[in-house]
Amino acid sequence: MDRQRRAGLLFVLPAVVYFGGVFLVPLVESVIGSFYRTVPGGLSQFVGTRLYVKVLTDPTFWQAVGNTLSLLVMSVPVTVVVALAVALGLHRLRSLEARSAWAAMYFLPFSVSLVAAALVWQWIYDPVYGVLNHALAGLGVPPLKWLQSLDLVRPSLAAVNVWARLGFDTMIFLAALQAIPAEYYEAAAIDGASAWQALRRITLPLLNPQIVMVAILELIFNFKIFDTVYATTQGGPAGASQTVIMLLYDTAFKYFRLGDASVMAVFVFVSLLLVTLLQWRLFRRQVEY
Amino acid sequence: MRGVRTVAVTAVVAMALAAPSSWAQPKKLVFWTHWEQNPEFNKFYETRGKDFGQKTGYEVQVVTVPYQGYEAKYLAALMGKSGAPDIFMGMTHHWCGQYDFCDKMPADLARTWDENLPKYMLNVGKWKGTRYGIPIEHGNFQQMYIDTELFKKAGLDPDKPPKTLDDWLAAMKKLTVLDAKGEPTQVGFALRHKGHPVGITDKFLPFAHAFGARMLSPNLEKATGFANSAEMVAALQFYSDLVNKHKVASTAFPTPEDAFGQKRAATIFRESWFFGWVKKNAPDVAFKVYALPCGKTCPGAGNLFPWTNMVAKSSPHKQAAWDFMKFISNAKDDLDQHQAQGILPVWTANLDSAYVKSRPDYQSTQEMLRQPVPPEYYHPKSNELATAFGEAVVAALYGKGQPKPLLDEAAAKMDRILRD
Repeated sequence: MDRQRRAGLLFVLPAVVYFGGVFLVPLVESVIGSFYRTVPGGLSQFVGTRLYVKVLTDPTFWQAVGNTLSLLVMSVPVTVVVALAVALGLHRLRSLEARSAWAAMYFLPFSVSLVAAALVWQWIYDPVYGVLNHALAGLGVPPLKWLQSLDLVRPSLAAVNVWARLGFDTMIFLAALQAIPAEYYEAAAIDGASAWQALRRITLPLLNPQIVMVAILELIFNFKIFDTVYATTQGGPAGASQTVIMLLYDTAFKYFRLGDASVMAVFVFVSLLLVTLLQWRLFRRQVEY
Repeated sequence: MRGVRTVAVTAVVAMALAAPSSWAQPKKLVFWTHWEQNPEFNKFYETRGKDFGQKTGYEVQVVTVPYQGYEAKYLAALMGKSGAPDIFMGMTHHWCGQYDFCDKMPADLARTWDENLPKYMLNVGKWKGTRYGIPIEHGNFQQMYIDTELFKKAGLDPDKPPKTLDDWLAAMKKLTVLDAKGEPTQVGFALRHKGHPVGITDKFLPFAHAFGARMLSPNLEKATGFANSAEMVAALQFYSDLVNKHKVASTAFPTPEDAFGQKRAATIFRESWFFGWVKKNAPDVAFKVYALPCGKTCPGAGNLFPWTNMVAKSSPHKQAAWDFMKFISNAKDDLDQHQAQGILPVWTANLDSAYVKSRPDYQSTQEMLRQPVPPEYYHPKSNELATAFGEAVVAALYGKGQPKPLLDEAAAKMDRILRD
C-alpha cells in the first residue's frame, strides 16, 4: 500500500471505528438478538424466526406502524414544501443582514433539545392553560384537546415535527439556491420566462438532489420519531400516537423483551433502507450546472 | 532553583505516602432510586451512610434516576455490570424474576424483615418464596383524599365521606362545576387518563376490585374470564361513565395530582406519599384522607407497584451493601426515614407510633387494612400485562369502544403474553 493510500485510510479510520462501534455492532447484535428470546432468570434461548412471526402478526405492532406512517405523511411533505417556500423567500431578500436574521430565527428550533421543545409544546397545547386555545378563544373557537384527542394528537405532534425540522431543511435549500448561477435566471428573463416558469424549469430541477436528500432525511427522522412523543403523550391517548420506536422502547425496557424489540429494530432498519433506495432511484436526477 | 523544586516534589510525594489511611477516598456503595418525588427519603441513605462509613469505610452515594425511563437505565446498567449500582430500588418480581440481577438476602436479615413487616406485605420483596428485596413503602395503596373546602362549598360534609360507590358518585356530581358549554371547570374526581397504560391500570384497579373483579386468575396464569368478566365490564363501564356520561372527571385536565393541588378536582385516589406531596406542593389545600368507597366489596389495601430495595448480584461490594441494609433495618431508622418524607413507615412496631397516629390518614389506613387483601399481580410480566389491560381502560375513557369488546381483546392479548 502506498503512502497516500495509507494516509487516506488513516484519515477515515476514526469515522470507520466510530460508525462501526456505534452503528454496525449494535445492528449486528440486533439481528442476532432477534432470533433469541429472554426467559425469566435472564437467560437467552434460540427460537429461530418465531419472534418475527409473533411481532409481525401482532395488531399492536401494526397499529404503531400505522401511527408512524400517518405521522410521516402529515409531517414530511409539509416540512419539505414549507422549507422550500421559506428558503425561496429568504433567497429573495436583498439585505444579507435581514436574510441572516430570518434564517437564524428559522434555524433556532432545530438547535433546541427535542425533549425540551416537546415539553414547551405540551404547555402550548394544554387544553386549559395553553396559549393556543387561549388565542383561538379570541377567535371564538372552543377549546380543543390537542394531545388528548384521538383525532388531533397526531396532527398536533406532526406540527411540532415540522416546527423542529423546518430550519434545518430551509438552510439546506437556501445554500443550494445560492449555488445556482444567476446567469440562468437572467437568460430565462431575456427569453420572457415568468417567475413561475423559472421556478419550474430552473430552480426545482437544479434543487433536485437537495429535495431528494431532505425528503430522505425527513423520512428517516419521522420514522424514528421518539423524543417528542415520549415527552408529551407517551403514545397516548389510547395508543393513538404510539410509534414503532415508542413500542420498541417499551418492549425492550418496560417489558424486558429484548428479542421482540430486536425484531422491531430490524424491521425499522430494513424498511428505511428499502424506502430510501426506492426514493433515491425514483426521484434522483443528474444535475449539471 | 532546580534543587528547591526537587525538594518540594519529594516532600509532596513523601507526604502522600505517609498520609494516614483516613485521607484515602472512602469506598462507596452506589444506591439507585427512581423515587424522585421523595428527596428527603432518599437523602436518609446518605446521612446514615456517613454513620455507616465511620464504622466500615463505606459511604453511600444516592443516585436519583428519573422515573420516566428508569427501567431502560437500570437494565442497561445491570446488564453491563460495570456501571451497575450496588443497591437499587425496584420491583422484585421484575429484577429478580424476569431477570436474575439480585443477590439473595442473607437469612438473618430476611428473618428480621419477615418478623417485622405487616402481614399483608410479607410477599412483597419475595420471588418464588425467597426474599431478595426490602419493602420500603407501607401505605402503598390508594386512599381517598378529599379537598375539604370544595366539599363544604358543594354543601357536603367533609367529615362524612361517601362510603359506597353510589354515594361517592352522587357526591362527585355535586362537586363538579360545568361551564356554559357543559364542560367541567372543576371536577369531582381527579382521574388518571394519560401517561403509560400501566399507571392507568393501577389507578383503575381499586374500582375493579370494588366491583368484585380481578385482572388475572389467582394463580396468575389466565386473564380470560377475569380481565373480561361481567364484574370487570361493569367496573369499566362505571369508570368510563365518570368521564363520558356523568362528566365528574375530565380528560382535558392535567395530571390528577396537579388538578387536586390546583383545587380543580375535589377528590383523588393516591397512596400515602401523597400526604407529603400535598403538604409540600399545595400547602393551601385543606384535605382529609378516607378509606376508598366500597362497591360490591371493598377495594382493600393492594397495589401494582410493590417497591423494594435490592442488592445487585454483580456488585463487588455485596457484603458491605447487605451490612448497610442491616445497619438501617431497625424500627428507629424506619420511622426516621419515612417521617422525614411524610410517608407511612413499614415496620409493624411503627404503625401505632405518635407520628403515624398524628397523620390524617391514620384512621383510613387502619380501615383499609381491616378490609380483605385484594388480588396481587406480582408477575414478572406485570408491566406488559398491565399495559394490555390499561390500553382497554384508556380506550374506554376516550370513547374508542365499549368496555366488553375492549376487555375481551385485552384478555386475549394478556393470555398470549402469559403463554409466551
